[in-house]
Amino acid sequence: MKVSQQCVGCGQCAAYCPYDAIIVFGRASMNEKCVECGTCVRYCPVCAIAEE
Amino acid sequence: MKAAIIGAGLGGLLAGAKLSKAGYEVEIFERLPFIGGRFANLEYKGFKLSTGALHMIPHGSRGPLAQMLREVGADVEIIDSNPMAVIMKDTGETIEFHDFRKGLSLTKRVKLGAILACSLKFKPKSNISFRDWILKYFDEEFLLKLADSFCGWSLSLQAKDVPAREMLEIIDNMYRYKGSGIPVGGCGAVTGALADVISSNGGRIHTLSCVEKIITDKDRAKGISVNGKTIDADIVISDIGHLETSRMFECRDEVYSERIQKVIPSKGIKICLSSDETLIGHSGVFFTPYAERINGINEVTNADPSLAPPGKHLIMSHQAVISDDLNKEIALGLLDLKKLFPGKKYEVLLIQSYSNGWPVNRASSGSDIGNRTPLCNLYVVGDGAKGKGGIEVEGVALGVSNAMKEIGV
Repeated sequence: MKVSQQCVGCGQCAAYCPYDAIIVFGRASMNEKCVECGTCVRYCPVCAIAEE
Repeated sequence: MKAAIIGAGLGGLLAGAKLSKAGYEVEIFERLPFIGGRFANLEYKGFKLSTGALHMIPHGSRGPLAQMLREVGADVEIIDSNPMAVIMKDTGETIEFHDFRKGLSLTKRVKLGAILACSLKFKPKSNISFRDWILKYFDEEFLLKLADSFCGWSLSLQAKDVPAREMLEIIDNMYRYKGSGIPVGGCGAVTGALADVISSNGGRIHTLSCVEKIITDKDRAKGISVNGKTIDADIVISDIGHLETSRMFECRDEVYSERIQKVIPSKGIKICLSSDETLIGHSGVFFTPYAERINGINEVTNADPSLAPPGKHLIMSHQAVISDDLNKEIALGLLDLKKLFPGKKYEVLLIQSYSNGWPVNRASSGSDIGNRTPLCNLYVVGDGAKGKGGIEVEGVALGVSNAMKEIGV
């Protein structure tokens, strides 16, 4: 998944990620557990996540 | 009469509950897959974290939000915190919030009492900041630090960025309503109960429904366009702030357009901790005026243990964002926590930051411009249109109350 500059780091994506694959520290980033399922896209309030 | 509401955050849901109770046919459209906006629960590792605000109601069971919840029949239990708040001093000892004057000399205490009484009655008309207002009368480090701690905790601003008159309105409200309280079940219990009220009054809430446009006819809103479908409405309420709302219709009112550009969103950082042992010992606010960045902390599990797995405590700290370097701000916050709880074992569950398009408040306190828009039947509610002197969700409730008065509900 690709996270844009719009991300504020609210962590909503991390909580809804079914694979525990998102780390948040000022901004979200995906780790190796990410399977590109796209769940996070819908939960982002600022439309900052897109599929690569 | 039909009301279409854009956004199912606290403001949209409060307005929906009021209007549906008054007989309006209410339909709410939420872009995200869940309701509650930044006042919802976030399930994480067995904890009930929150999407935005802390699990807290600033004025507890006696405040404007609690009053409105009772009025519409929302089933929410609020546990008032006792003590309401404590302050950690530079020596590391804690004092009750109401005793903050005790550290001052007798002369200063008398002076503070007199100035406060007079200023609450005759609030400054100028734009003097709360920090400058304090400095006008006192050169006291403790008061300045406490002001920053309080403003940071409750408004996500530094005292230099809050108008003194807005802060005095807040102090007035603190005397009037007291505070603070924890909603049992967290933020999500409040927004969930409001959704129940709306559906029992026949209203409907749609998630994953993106409002693209407000359809206008001269200076009126005729309805909205949602996922390509037209919804007619007699009244349109927007819970997404003035700026975002104005982008949904052709706004020709230049004065309004200029005013909404000046509204500044506030930025903040929330750090959620888990601990086996209690770090604070009560559910009141723990103000930390001498920390580098953290403004305050609360441990909600002392009021509602169900917000954490059995045997665990849930602790949340809040800090205003001071510099442009967010990573540095977070690192300083984490360092503060280490210093505040030396030797204590805790785990950092989640670090959440809020700014720009998803801020702490769309309109930082003192920069709210009311509920009206250039369209006579379009009103803005929520954290982009709070009422005077209202801290966070209390301001949301006061703002909704003002909008409802204008509508005549």
